[in-house]
Amino acid sequence: MDWLSRQFSTRVIALMPVAIAINIVLGYTVQTVFKLPIYLDSIGTIFVGVLAGPIAGALTGILSNLIWQYAPGIGGGTIGPFAVVAGVIGLLAGLWGQLGVYRRRPAQGTSLWGPVAVAIVVILVLASRIYGNPVYDDPEYFVSWYSTAILIVAVVLSAAVAVAAYVRRDAAAAWVALAGALTGVVAALASAPISAYVFGGVTGGGTDVIVAALRQGGTDVLNAALGQGFFSDPIDKTITSFVVFVVLASLSSRLVARFPLGERLLGAESA
Amino acid sequence: MTLRLAGASYRYAGARSPALIGVDLVIEPGEVVGVVGANESGKSTLCLVAAGLAPASIGGELGGSVTLGGEETRSLRPHELAQRAGILFQDANTQLSGTARSVWEEVAFGPRNLALPVEEVVARVGRALAVLGIEALAPRDPQRLSGGQAQLVALASVLALRPALLVLDEPTSQLDPLGTRLVGDALAGLAAGTGTAILVVEHKTDLLERLAGRVLVVDGGRVVRSGLTAEVLEDPSLGHLGVEPPSRVALRRAVEEAGLRLDPGALAPAGSGHAS
Amino acid sequence: MTVPATNEGITPGVPEFVARHPTGAYAGLSPTTKLVVAFTEAAVAFLVRGWTGPIAVVLVVATTAIIARVGRRMVPYVLATLPLVASILLINTFLFPGATDVIARIGPLIPTWSGLEAALQATLRVVAFALSVAVFSLTTPTDDLLTDLERRGLGRRGEFVIAAAVRTIPRMLERAAEIVDAQRARGLDTEGPRWRRVRGILPVAGPMLTSALTEVEERTMALEARAFSAPGRRTVLRLLPDSAAQAAVRWMLLVGTFVVIIASLTGLVRVP
Repeated sequence: MDWLSRQFSTRVIALMPVAIAINIVLGYTVQTVFKLPIYLDSIGTIFVGVLAGPIAGALTGILSNLIWQYAPGIGGGTIGPFAVVAGVIGLLAGLWGQLGVYRRRPAQGTSLWGPVAVAIVVILVLASRIYGNPVYDDPEYFVSWYSTAILIVAVVLSAAVAVAAYVRRDAAAAWVALAGALTGVVAALASAPISAYVFGGVTGGGTDVIVAALRQGGTDVLNAALGQGFFSDPIDKTITSFVVFVVLASLSSRLVARFPLGERLLGAESA
Repeated sequence: MTLRLAGASYRYAGARSPALIGVDLVIEPGEVVGVVGANESGKSTLCLVAAGLAPASIGGELGGSVTLGGEETRSLRPHELAQRAGILFQDANTQLSGTARSVWEEVAFGPRNLALPVEEVVARVGRALAVLGIEALAPRDPQRLSGGQAQLVALASVLALRPALLVLDEPTSQLDPLGTRLVGDALAGLAAGTGTAILVVEHKTDLLERLAGRVLVVDGGRVVRSGLTAEVLEDPSLGHLGVEPPSRVALRRAVEEAGLRLDPGALAPAGSGHAS
Repeated sequence: MTVPATNEGITPGVPEFVARHPTGAYAGLSPTTKLVVAFTEAAVAFLVRGWTGPIAVVLVVATTAIIARVGRRMVPYVLATLPLVASILLINTFLFPGATDVIARIGPLIPTWSGLEAALQATLRVVAFALSVAVFSLTTPTDDLLTDLERRGLGRRGEFVIAAAVRTIPRMLERAAEIVDAQRARGLDTEGPRWRRVRGILPVAGPMLTSALTEVEERTMALEARAFSAPGRRTVLRLLPDSAAQAAVRWMLLVGTFVVIIASLTGLVRVP
């Protein structure tokens, strides 16, 4: 229980409302101002998870969804039922925080490109699992452009990881990207059943064209929703994780050290 | 209740070198002590150490002895410290809880946290608002106040805990002249009327001349000057330490540099018994 | 506990503007009651298969909306669901997997009855849910709900997190707009090709996050300086109205909903 109450120190309690507000405000701004098909609405959740641990992260996600749904003046939409997914994202972020994934690892040469190579391999393996989903193997139901799209996404993601690692000379870029991609895959797996069972398999957003195309190719409701999720969630969560990583790296170690998982972020640097 | 620092030093968590070194300081009840110094000289750290928030709330390593009324601050929990030493920062917005619908409820935040009976909460809120003369603000929305009003509300909510020591870290730096005057008047009344010990960090040395009996100068984490307000603030080497002299001192120097002579009693500090 | 409709005599000395709470036929109920109603409506709308669940919810919501006199103000909530509803209707009617009961063949489009039925049911669920959210939001101020929940066990930390989040959002929206404007003046592209818009995210998200996080330090100290971490339950200044009858209704709703959902999911009871 002490581990649990340490996760909810006054500092974490002060952080959570800010993180929840950021989730909602950035989620809204990215969609309406930038008009991009990514959400960025779990950025606060990941922040809290990495700094304060899995339970705090999960609660931040769940509360963000419920507040965005029910708060007078702010509420509306249909995001509420996906609170479980937001909770899972927070849990995972806490896991990555415990493992020190977001810790800076300045590196050169092989200690830089080694992790990048590992991350790229894992990303391509994940993509090939999605690509080779049995449902799509049947030639009568095969939607070739979708599989190509997944492959292109995987290649672009890998290239982005390599560039980021090179620009920042930081091997952590590889691990952060991997954590983001994995979180995205899990998020897609968790939200597809909700979307399929409750909302007729669609989201009301632009990516519904993917759902339509997959169904046209013969896929069932759940797998079409899953296909849509695999397309947007890994990219969104990887971009989100990167933004979190860059911002964390720019904070003074004085501030970071005071959080429950702060030391894992600072690693050998803290005196 | 006396504040006593003896050889106090402090290093922030995650920092390599200490921010405060070997500070000795005593503040008796009813005294007002001012602190001046350049940015990053350790003034804010001194405030946090005096109020006990360092290390109770922000971690780090405290050396030497810091006692409030004889008790070591490092042995007290944050909510116990809150009832002995109150602290006010520059930015009123971050100090308001952000959850209160009215100023009254904002000021009641502290006493409620202590689980005091309803009658006690009501009494303390009434008294804190009255001491600062802001009863009229009671029904207002705390997020719709001017800077000066917000600082007074923050001050009231600290006073509602009845601390014997009040620490203020640049309370007027984000305020316009009207707000500064509001807060300055409130502090002057507080010290005179309630016997609270006050430690106030300020860049506005004019304000300190009016409020403080003694002034400390902090540089590089150490106290390098200490004494009566007028003497310390007239020290010509203060400029090197990043401190602006009070306007009457600046005026006097400018007049003398222009080659004019002044009566010995002219531009003397207020209340020093000289004709001005 | 039973709390009468006014707080006189219970919390003496607390000003009227602090202690008052909403009145009205539905709005005057305990916030926890309204919360339980909203929760059960959502659960039934989403988890009871078929037509009965959503239709029942719509009827109940309509009744409470009439009692609470919030009918007209619910319209924006329903309108907000239009894009989703349009998508549900189109994609499910025309592209429902495995459906063979064709309605008509209109060129390449092949709508099916099964698809239409699934589409209409899903639409009904979404609308029922949106209506239940609307009634709840329009009759239950957040402060009242949190005050009541804190007394019932949510605690000061839960109350603080939710209340502070809700009150921070409007200010943060303004700040986001300011940052976007400032960055646009520096050449931020929010209209151009997609990859350039993605690059624009960091200059907006970065400052927002950094300033929010540095504020957290001062907020933490301010909270501790006002004894936030003291043990025990905080003093109660406001008691929201409640009654034994409402408590009984709440329990019945919760148990009843649980039973209904289990029965529907396991197929024990078949309703249309």
